[in-house]
Amino acid sequence: MSKKIEVEDKILSKNDKLANELRQLFLDKKVLVINFVSSPGSGKTSILENILPKLSKKYRLAVIEGDLETENDAERIRKAGIKAYQITTGGACHLEAFGIKNALPNFDLDNLDLLIIENVGNLVCPASFDLGEDFKIVVISTPEGDDKPAKYPSMIRASSAIIVNKIDLAEYMEFDVDKCIDYAKRINPNLVEFRTSCKTKTGLDDLIAFIETKIEEKHAGIRG
Amino acid sequence: MHEASIAQSLLDVVIETAHKNSVKSVLSVEVNIGRLAAVEKNSLLFAFDALKEGTVAEKASLIINDIPIVGKCNACGLEDEYDNFVFSCHNCGSYDVTIISGEELNIKEIEVEDE
Repeated sequence: MSKKIEVEDKILSKNDKLANELRQLFLDKKVLVINFVSSPGSGKTSILENILPKLSKKYRLAVIEGDLETENDAERIRKAGIKAYQITTGGACHLEAFGIKNALPNFDLDNLDLLIIENVGNLVCPASFDLGEDFKIVVISTPEGDDKPAKYPSMIRASSAIIVNKIDLAEYMEFDVDKCIDYAKRINPNLVEFRTSCKTKTGLDDLIAFIETKIEEKHAGIRG
Repeated sequence: MHEASIAQSLLDVVIETAHKNSVKSVLSVEVNIGRLAAVEKNSLLFAFDALKEGTVAEKASLIINDIPIVGKCNACGLEDEYDNFVFSCHNCGSYDVTIISGEELNIKEIEVEDE
């Protein structure tokens, strides 16, 4: 004989519950948390190296780096003068909320305005795991192909902003920036768009201005 | 391969439910997975079978229900199924479509041995 027991629970309920606790904590402490997601090599760390020193003139910042192995990215951020903590997942393809929780004792949230989480380079898995962030920014770079948003729609849907990076190479890569952003906006019409190059320093000031606005909104108690 | 993490989270809920109900053995686990959830079915089945060993769910089979994407257009009100990820209303073309189902990553029920 057998019987059925109804469960009606989300599979990731534990992660989601912890993420919501973190979100409440970040709200109480008025810390803006941005989760940066992309394929490996899209230039997330380069973007951060470029924008964080400028943001740090006005705000108190820290970075959590997620990678399978090495402290390389955290060291790059530290060289830019920003506090960084490296999570090495040891093979896992994404960060989870408990990893963020475990990293938090390394930061003084009472003296922080912006916490950046640079997720493991992967356009699939991080979409499913809420980290308690205010929003995700997805980075797509021109060597990847302009149909990337159409291939990875879940991440596009999960993100609030898209950065097309390495636009200085667009011509050589035959990457149509407008087409890429058009694909993305058909999947998620509310995406805020940025077009950047860390080589030519294009578009980075727009991104900085956007993040500053979001930090101010968080201080004012407006949810992201 | 985040399906391993998802399988582990699923097993955690199953084992917890089994213990709460003093269950000796779980026979099957039924889940609803939306097409928007970005879960690869075979990877999830593989990970579930590997991770269930030695638990109260080691005899359990995993039943996956595919949940289609259904959206409601906020402009004209049409409720329709979508077979891709571009949500342009099939009636009026508006992109202002609210997803009603297709994002599920839920456990529905478990079947257990009853003495």
